[in-house]
Amino acid sequence: MSSTITDADRQQVVTLTINGVTVSVNKGMTLVEAAWHAGISRVTSVGCLEGVCGSCRVMLGRGKEVTVGLACQTFVEAGIEVVFLPAASAPRHHYEIDDFQDGWDIHARFHEIFPEASRCRHCHGCVRSCPKGIAVEDGIALAAAGRYRDAGETFIECVMCELCDVACPELIAPAHVGLFCRRVTAHFHLRPPNLIFRLEAIRQSRMEPDHE
Amino acid sequence: MNKGVPLAEALALYHRAADRAPAPVLADIDTLLNAYHPDHARSSAIKLTVGVNAGDECQRDLADLLQAETFIDEANLAGAPVTDVDVLVVGGGGAGCAAALTASEQGARVLLATKLRLGDSNTVMAEGGIQAAIDPEDSVQCHIQDTLRGGHYGGDPALVAAMAGDGPDVLRWLINLGMQFETTPGGDLQTRRAGGMSVARLVYCRDYTGLEMMRVLREAVIQHRSIEVWEQSPVVELLSNEHGQKCVGAVVTSLIDGQVRIVRTRSVILATGGLGRLHLNGFPTSNHLGATGDGLVLAYRIGAKLRDLDSFQYHPTGLVNTPHLSGKLVTEAVRAAGAVLLNGNARRFIDELQPRDVVCAAIVRECAEGRGVDINGQRVGVWLDTPHLEQSQPGLLEKQFPNLMTRTRVSGIDPRAEPLLVYPTLHYQNGGAVIDANGATTVPGLFAAGELAGGIHGRNRIMGNALLDIISFGRRAGIAATATRDRGPKKVTLEHVNRLRRALTLAGMPMSRRSPQVLPPYAAKGLWNH
Repeated sequence: MSSTITDADRQQVVTLTINGVTVSVNKGMTLVEAAWHAGISRVTSVGCLEGVCGSCRVMLGRGKEVTVGLACQTFVEAGIEVVFLPAASAPRHHYEIDDFQDGWDIHARFHEIFPEASRCRHCHGCVRSCPKGIAVEDGIALAAAGRYRDAGETFIECVMCELCDVACPELIAPAHVGLFCRRVTAHFHLRPPNLIFRLEAIRQSRMEPDHE
Repeated sequence: MNKGVPLAEALALYHRAADRAPAPVLADIDTLLNAYHPDHARSSAIKLTVGVNAGDECQRDLADLLQAETFIDEANLAGAPVTDVDVLVVGGGGAGCAAALTASEQGARVLLATKLRLGDSNTVMAEGGIQAAIDPEDSVQCHIQDTLRGGHYGGDPALVAAMAGDGPDVLRWLINLGMQFETTPGGDLQTRRAGGMSVARLVYCRDYTGLEMMRVLREAVIQHRSIEVWEQSPVVELLSNEHGQKCVGAVVTSLIDGQVRIVRTRSVILATGGLGRLHLNGFPTSNHLGATGDGLVLAYRIGAKLRDLDSFQYHPTGLVNTPHLSGKLVTEAVRAAGAVLLNGNARRFIDELQPRDVVCAAIVRECAEGRGVDINGQRVGVWLDTPHLEQSQPGLLEKQFPNLMTRTRVSGIDPRAEPLLVYPTLHYQNGGAVIDANGATTVPGLFAAGELAGGIHGRNRIMGNALLDIISFGRRAGIAATATRDRGPKKVTLEHVNRLRRALTLAGMPMSRRSPQVLPPYAAKGLWNH
């Protein structure tokens, strides 16, 4: 069973570098545990420790190969070079959901807000950078074609680490495109009869004259 | 503690295909809780000596932080840059974002300061769902009754009624912001029943409900024109007027460069969440790294009354057999979907949908009496029978619990093939700051929302009420905090700090400890040097 293997793993020591500092830690630790264990300074980007908050972004160097990932989901390896990345800067695309008055012009609005979305050059940088294995490129193609529900569904596991935004040479900001797609789908199309019925019942009971 | 059934022996006794007998009937809930719930462990609670709650029971580790010295004195404030806003929101989780969005809807200039990254919170990790009485068989009244009963009638009925009554409108508000939920083929919101609910009331978005909520709220806050966000900016002290009687601002510091800043406000909304990362009574925790109870310390020092400081929720099913995920949750929804708990002898021992404190105490009992599963004498737990669930409803785990599957896959475990070892984990602070239905604390100018606030969940919270609580009271606090249109503070002081310092001296208490904690010690090394 995996638990016993993991216990045995934790007896072995591996050496790696984190933010340029050489550290020796037990195998089986995540990169976050290793950074804490070694007292690496300035590691402030740690959050949920279970891979859903997207904060602990790291760049991973294995020889000449460089990838990115989440430190709480990546285990230590001998010789790996780890650099904790700063948080993403503020998004360049701006909208407020209440700006949209109706759904008929949403396609035009989408391309105004995210003009780069139709310029994907299929470099796969976003797909390779995604720690959740999301088919980011396919999602962007769906969004550019106006298929917001399907595009949003592609991004269901997105943890907003914004690593794909960094990877995109066209500055598409795929994570924010994905979220836009999810949000407009709910905003315009989610009209559940059971909820609407209950809201109306509550409104009417408040209008009754004998209501306190 | 008695040794349990060794892992290999327990695995040999476990058979996925065997029929599961009904759970034994529980004779007496109170006896079980008193004997085995961690809140009742000997020496868990002490009486507070100073402050507005002097004489009240309080968990020991928390009491040390409440009755401690501050980091800030007048010298730190001289020359510190000053920012003026209408409303300061402290905390970047669901409650903080809801409060900030609502306050800005009211026309206030809002500053949101958060210790880590916006959205880093327990909200993002909530999996199971949010409660709202929308089913035809359900009613707001029924929701109120379930919440009060689940909390062993320790909750404030006015607060519970406010929250339950907000439920349907909270869903409407979230959908308007762009949050998705599961729907039936007919378009209704899908509901399901979980522990402590008399009818199906949990609405959800797969097992990503909190993530879906948080990324929508986070994006809405970032994109909002009149909300400013300071990340990596913990609040380490509040500011009071010259009498120490009203909250008029806060001292914000920076994890990046240590800079101290003064924020002057008309209102402060504390939404700093819980305190799992204090690891009370030595338990692992399901909580986010920032959950160190900072808001309780800030509120107590300025004189806000707190309540139920000896009551915490230990979630029954924290993972055991994955060291790096130790204490992380398997959502209660897995039990709601039909997974049962089995002890080391492969027998059921409790109705799995009893309130969380009861199930927790039952697991502690099984392990204490030698019926747990023992791993090398180091860790102990009971089985969560996911393979049997998979067998009875093939594909369910992959379809409804992708988060659980992804998380365990990283660790090389397949819950469809092997049962998960679980043990209770520190999950939620039941008590907190005393508030009214507007989220106002007992100190003028100071509001509290979310896990930090107390009185809603009594002595035990039922599933799905946390996500409702944070939006309901986040919005209420956001409205109330903008309603007071006085002319703002003339003078900001540390008078309340001096008051507590005098009380500590008079009581002969040690002044060596400083609080708030800000980060747990294991994460603070080399990072946050006071």
